[in-house]
Amino acid sequence: MHPEIEALLDQAENRFLKPEEITAFKRQAAILSQRLKIYEFLRDKEESIFQPVANKLQETFPDEKPEILERTLKNWLLVLRYCAMAMLLNDRNFIEQRLLDWLSGIVEAHQTHKIEATVCQLLQERLKELLSEQARAILQPFLDQAESLILEPDRKK
Amino acid sequence: MINIADLLKQPRVPGNYFARDAYVRGDLELGLLENRRGDRLLALPETLIQAIYIGLEQETGQASRLVLFNCGRWWGKNFYVRFCEEVSDYYGQPVSEMEMVEFIQCLQQCWKSHGWGTFELDSSYSDQGFLVVKIANSLFAKTAPKSKLPACFLEAGILSSFFTQLTGRELHCLQTSCESLGSDCNRFILGLRDRLQAGNSMVEEGKDHESIMSQLSQKNN
Repeated sequence: MHPEIEALLDQAENRFLKPEEITAFKRQAAILSQRLKIYEFLRDKEESIFQPVANKLQETFPDEKPEILERTLKNWLLVLRYCAMAMLLNDRNFIEQRLLDWLSGIVEAHQTHKIEATVCQLLQERLKELLSEQARAILQPFLDQAESLILEPDRKK
Repeated sequence: MINIADLLKQPRVPGNYFARDAYVRGDLELGLLENRRGDRLLALPETLIQAIYIGLEQETGQASRLVLFNCGRWWGKNFYVRFCEEVSDYYGQPVSEMEMVEFIQCLQQCWKSHGWGTFELDSSYSDQGFLVVKIANSLFAKTAPKSKLPACFLEAGILSSFFTQLTGRELHCLQTSCESLGSDCNRFILGLRDRLQAGNSMVEEGKDHESIMSQLSQKNN
């Protein structure tokens, strides 16, 4: 459940919500519908978000094996899906639980930081083209968190 | 030309199968903890593990080490089969086709999500026929009765079974450093039994892991 809504309900306990709490509830519900719109956009446009990223990636690393570039692109397809879900749930823990360690460990083992960082950057630029500033502002903290977890895991330690 | 549509042919892009919130499930009504495949899990308090150690020592004395090692071996054998089934099902490829780094990454996450501590594999001695595993925050080390020797018999058993099946070679496991003796982590050397033989006495003499590794690697050159 959305944490802020859950908090409101916890506060209410065995009584009905007060008028100011109903307003807060309505505000949260409105934000939720905004996030849902962004989520649906990311879901529906997934392929057209990533194809230009894939094209530019191949231009940037023309000598790299396609399988390696494909694996990196798959990683970030996953990241965007997780960020979209985390944004919908407004839950940073979700990203941390699902991505922490695992993906950074794989990137470290394959030594593909440079390629991963490039995809991350290209993705952010592509999202800038497609999303309104307001929508990007809602999604950005989750993308930043994912980027930091994957590309700078030592910083957390 | 990379085609994203091809990458998206499978609707699911596999992530971390063992992510704690995805892996540990439960049925509150029936009082069950389960993994995502429906296999039963159990939360064990520290005091129960302590009680097992004490009970074993009282009943079997010195043999408790062997009992625990053999429990570990049995568990490791079954754990390997289940682990490979789960991983190959989820990632859609047989374990033999997975890259070792990704397989080990899964094992690390599995170890963590079960609350067994952290797990690291060091393959820098693999040319000399040894694998080194580092485990930290082991509950078995923490609750072990006071001793002058390493105490993670259960984990040594699991590791020997697991890696025997993984590599197809009969591997034995020797613990060379232990959190119960004040080390930063528990170190285990995996190798063929006769290659590790000399290591036993070095551990009893209290030699450190690096010295043991260095001697064992030399003996074969």
